[in-house]
Amino acid sequence: MTSQKKKVLLAPLDPVHDIGLKMIKRGLDLAGHDTILLPPDYTPEEIVKAAIDNNVDVILISRTLGYRVAEILGSFIDLAEAAGLRERVKIGIGGMAIKPELAAELGFDAGFGPGTTVEEAVAFVEGRRYVKEDKGARKTKKDLTEKHDYAFKNKKIEKLLNAIADEIIEYAKGKTTPGIERAKIREKMFEASDEAELRQLRKEYAAFCDDLVKVYYEKGALKEKTRQLTSEELNALKSYLEKTKSKMKPSLLQHTETNPVVFIQYGTGCPFMDIAHIKTCEAWGADGVVHFDPSWGARTEGFYEGFITHEEDGSVITYENLKLIKDALMPSTLWQVRAHRGLNTPETVFLAGKVGADLTKINIAYGSLGGGTDPERLAVDAVAAIKYAARFKLPFDVVTNEELCGVPAHKAFAGMLIVAMLGLKLGARPILQPLFCYSPEVMISGQMEDNYVDFNAAKILALKSIVNAPIWCGAPIGFLTQTEDRVQSSLSTALHAALASSLEVDGISIASADEAYSGGPISAAARVDTLRATQSAFRFFGHTKILPTEKAEVWARKIVEGIEQTLESVVQNGSFVDSLYKGLLGSREEGAYPGRAGRGTVKNI
Amino acid sequence: MSKVLEKVMDAVDLETFLVCDSEEEAKKLAVQMMKELGFNDVSTVFVQHLGPGARVRVRGYIYKPGARYNWLFNKKD
Repeated sequence: MTSQKKKVLLAPLDPVHDIGLKMIKRGLDLAGHDTILLPPDYTPEEIVKAAIDNNVDVILISRTLGYRVAEILGSFIDLAEAAGLRERVKIGIGGMAIKPELAAELGFDAGFGPGTTVEEAVAFVEGRRYVKEDKGARKTKKDLTEKHDYAFKNKKIEKLLNAIADEIIEYAKGKTTPGIERAKIREKMFEASDEAELRQLRKEYAAFCDDLVKVYYEKGALKEKTRQLTSEELNALKSYLEKTKSKMKPSLLQHTETNPVVFIQYGTGCPFMDIAHIKTCEAWGADGVVHFDPSWGARTEGFYEGFITHEEDGSVITYENLKLIKDALMPSTLWQVRAHRGLNTPETVFLAGKVGADLTKINIAYGSLGGGTDPERLAVDAVAAIKYAARFKLPFDVVTNEELCGVPAHKAFAGMLIVAMLGLKLGARPILQPLFCYSPEVMISGQMEDNYVDFNAAKILALKSIVNAPIWCGAPIGFLTQTEDRVQSSLSTALHAALASSLEVDGISIASADEAYSGGPISAAARVDTLRATQSAFRFFGHTKILPTEKAEVWARKIVEGIEQTLESVVQNGSFVDSLYKGLLGSREEGAYPGRAGRGTVKNI
Repeated sequence: MSKVLEKVMDAVDLETFLVCDSEEEAKKLAVQMMKELGFNDVSTVFVQHLGPGARVRVRGYIYKPGARYNWLFNKKD
């Protein structure tokens, strides 16, 4: 005990409620003070008498009921005054019905409203200034890969993956694409020593672009609904950020050390609105943010330059836009720039690495079967992109969104594991990103008729039985279970977060409560809804496990068998790229269509 | 736009329970309510009609991405 020992009377000036006082009594006892706890329903006269009889130093009164609160407390303080207690005894009041302003108005020494901690009350008794612990200040940037050595437990799958990944590397040798060439030119632009060299490089870059982007480099023209941000706006953003950063005291979502890191996804179209949403999410506890680019951007050869906003979903990737966002982030915030599905994959990873992103996203199977890019093109681009990821030490997740097209989990997982193995061979650190949702496959085949737990659990159990790799559930968790009702949407997200945590995954991506709403941009308030819900779920479950039924294990084994069979069929086919065209990793009947964007653009060097 | 609404980051959601006979009526009433309150860019986010009426959440956008956000310009009043 650091302060002088005090004698404290704790009295519930309330018919029944005294839990708060009991908690404070325990805290005071532990701190070495003498405490006397009166039972509920004592009158003000009885409490004052007990204080005099016991010669106490401090009185702590509690009041939960709001009924007649000012009158009763006023009467108590008058009695204490009349009894001569006010000069020598400190009197504090707390409880659900108490507001600090009311306590001060009535003449109490302190008023403790809802949310008061035991430590705060102990500090009052000891006459110390209470300094609230800022848990958010302890936030540090997490590395999702650090606990994983990528050791394969399933040797059969490891052998098959080795063969396929080696074949992909061999396939990509001696090949190039407009995407790879642009990435090389972009790198030279950063190294350019003067404006003349830069002009020449821009000309070379434009030659590898679609007309939509070419006109920008020739005439400065941007596509419709897209504009450069003004210098007035950029200056205003700077001031806004300075002010906002100085006010940041982020909440912490995790309740236990096993709760996963929580990512949100942004891509409002405008980097300013993105930043406003990011700062809101950081404040409410988000650990990471994922940059969504526009769908037209993924299907267009080439990037614009400059600070660009546009009025459609997805925020335009330029170095300048990314830099704006990077500079807005808290040091602890993980930042992912996705590069997984389009014609700018190598340059996206290069820019992400150059600007200082923490993570990227690459998947050949999804990008070419569900993302619209030609399989050959994306395979060659992805090898180059993964090399950039390795060079910039950017872990990348391998998302399996082809499941949303209807591809069964085992085939999507086979594609994911192939790209993960490719990443390992090229010196990068892949992260497995299984869908953690209500996917079309299970809608058709019925594995989620009873619950949303078993099949999601089966996926994680299957992956964990194959390889010790990081798992980041996406994206977003609970997709297709959320409705436009924000309460249902937030609850569903939170339950999926709790399940993911119970399965001890490393990360999750959550949606806003607007996930199922398609009538306009999502709002900042809707982001707060699901962050608060997720925090509550983590608090509720703590270290408690959610117990799937026996079906989870059965389905996990079936998924592993399916992965083995799929990989065997790819090995037998002899070519990974050809396997994508043939539907071995997801067929047309299953909803996977080899993309056409960039077809015929792969060139032999 | 009022000075207070300029401080809204993006949108105002109004949640309430409307006494009405159908979901369609609820949608019309919700949008009409927002228009009467002065919101121009209105969208119904959620509506569910059961028994005595409808639970609604209706949204008035103040700023959409790409607009000029007045809160960004740090005006005091």
